Amino acid sequence: MRQCLAIAIVAALTAVPATSQSHSNFEGMWSDPPFTAEDTFCAAWCTDVGLARLEALLDNPANDKRPFADLSAEAERYQRDQYIRPHLSDANVKKFPLDPAADPGFLRCEPWGVARQIAARHQLQIRQTGRDRLDLRYGEWDAHRTVYLDGRQRPAGQAPTAMGFSVGHYEGGMLVIETTGIAANLTSYSSDHSDRLRIVERYTRSSDGKRLSLTATLDDPVSLRQPIELKKVWSWAPTSEIAPYKGCQRPTEFSTGK
Amino acid sequence: MKTSHAVLFTILASALVVRHVEAHHSFAPVYDAKRTIVVEGVVKEFRFINPHALMLMDVADDTGKVVTWTVEFAGRLNLGEGGWNERTVTPGQKVTVTGNPTHTNSPRMFFLHLVRADGSELFPPSKARQDAIEEQRRQRARERTDGKQ
Repeated sequence: MRQCLAIAIVAALTAVPATSQSHSNFEGMWSDPPFTAEDTFCAAWCTDVGLARLEALLDNPANDKRPFADLSAEAERYQRDQYIRPHLSDANVKKFPLDPAADPGFLRCEPWGVARQIAARHQLQIRQTGRDRLDLRYGEWDAHRTVYLDGRQRPAGQAPTAMGFSVGHYEGGMLVIETTGIAANLTSYSSDHSDRLRIVERYTRSSDGKRLSLTATLDDPVSLRQPIELKKVWSWAPTSEIAPYKGCQRPTEFSTGK
Repeated sequence: MKTSHAVLFTILASALVVRHVEAHHSFAPVYDAKRTIVVEGVVKEFRFINPHALMLMDVADDTGKVVTWTVEFAGRLNLGEGGWNERTVTPGQKVTVTGNPTHTNSPRMFFLHLVRADGSELFPPSKARQDAIEEQRRQRARERTDGKQ
């Protein structure tokens, strides 16, 4: 009896999302990506340009003695300079990258907006709440957003909000979410955006059900010359839990040089 | 209770330096990633919270004066993924902590490594990931070498 119970618990903990149902197969808890160089590079966000650079660095024998963190940092700088920067508007290039010490999340414990939240590290919990909507909950800031699946439009005149207004649908095995009505805020790539930002997220799951991938296209005629495409990866993490945010402390000291 | 003697020195133990791939929020404005210090003391409090876990520890300097240091960790959401919980560090424990100092050299550091009095150690959860990746890289190098032969 006890053995059966143990087997049942193990089975429940290791179960992966169903692979045959298109509407519920993203549900559950996702968190840190697989322990590979490429997926770790995309734990927050990455680009195809950055991934290609990382692959080149990993393939070069001259880099074999360098720690991965160095190569990752070099690829990150490369994608910022060769991909992100050329996509920014003139006004945004001048202030790129933004000073991390000026981050309201850091200075005033202000939760992030959706443009940053979609690339947050760690947990993402996806739940179907009723037939017509999804609840996306993030470990970072314990933030929630609702995605409407019933084809509704953003209400006319609705003021922009930090998390915006999201509608979604399925395209085969892909979950597609479009978000507009986003209040001007910061992005994950150290730049800001206007309230004309439009984000399209495309989520897919690996055939074994254990890996969740996001490709997000951000389009903003004010802050960008052309749309930016970001990528991110999670692993299936049924035992992971999201803890409340509390005790956020404002920093009391700053650098005299970074 | 008399606290442990404080030891502050820069070390060259690059193996201990786990990069801040998991560091939450803005690390650079407060901490100096290029320097590492070691502090010995007694744990006063461990706050297993988001967005940053914190530990307060009493540290005695050479004159015996006790100063309370703050050790900052990644958030609970990150540490929890690595199996940490509220009891991973407990008040009264004698510990030696390695971390990055602040730019202002105030009694505050960002956690890299902790050794308890019984010799048991704690590393950031990211160390297991780093070790796995480095092993994959060694395998990749071996395969590259084998392919040339």
